[in-house]
Amino acid sequence: MPQDMPPTGGYEPVQYKRNLPARGFRASYYLIGVGLIMTYGFYRLGIGIRERNELGREKMWSRIHLIPLLQAEEDRDQVRRYLADKAREKELLGSETKVYHSDRFVRPTFAAVPKDLTK
Amino acid sequence: MAARQPRFNQQVLIDTTPLPDDIPKVKEIGASSAPLMSASFFIGARCKPYNDDYMVCKTEANGKGELECMKEGRKVTRCAASVLEDINKYCLEDFRKHWQCLDNNNQQLWQCRSAERSLNKCVFDNLKLEKVIPGAPENEVPVHLRKRQIFAHPGRH
Repeated sequence: MPQDMPPTGGYEPVQYKRNLPARGFRASYYLIGVGLIMTYGFYRLGIGIRERNELGREKMWSRIHLIPLLQAEEDRDQVRRYLADKAREKELLGSETKVYHSDRFVRPTFAAVPKDLTK
Repeated sequence: MAARQPRFNQQVLIDTTPLPDDIPKVKEIGASSAPLMSASFFIGARCKPYNDDYMVCKTEANGKGELECMKEGRKVTRCAASVLEDINKYCLEDFRKHWQCLDNNNQQLWQCRSAERSLNKCVFDNLKLEKVIPGAPENEVPVHLRKRQIFAHPGRH
């Protein structure tokens, strides 16, 4: 039985390369383009962040200028209530009791309900 | 320390006893947040010594500042009231425009630059108070003077 042999002259070369057309530009151009876009984007982002920092500073200082004013008003109100509490205590108990072992001002935890309710 | 007033559903339970007579009376400022914010830098410009005094007093009073710093507190309030009064006297129109703009824009200062510019100019011309933001970088235009506000709505500048 004759053996199966290659054809005379050898086989044809095998096409292993793809034969597709390369679309678009070279890949490096895309890389450069995206890089440029992103650089610009980050540049603008940086500007925005700096502006936002400045706006934050502005807001913070506007508040800092107001803090003593607001605090003074609140403190005055607290002192008013404190003195009223003390006077009431004196009237009801006849003596001034020292509740805390400290000279510091302590915000009251409980409030006395006034006799004549205000609407 | 929470500085929140107690809220009740049925009635307002607030002690209304006034301060004793031996403590001098002072009229509270009585302005809401937007006018205060609008005037804050002018208050800071005129009342800085009083404000600093008060804060130093509170710091050094070691927890007793509420009672001991009442005098400084009254000065602070009177000074701020004088600024607001002067602004109301000379620049009422611009002031109103600015704080109403702030009220309508979530108190974002950058949305109201045009109103702010005319207010600042009026206040500087009449009261000689200038808005300066401490600590801002010196090689840049201060943010409230910039022509273009990045974060403002389109058409605002």
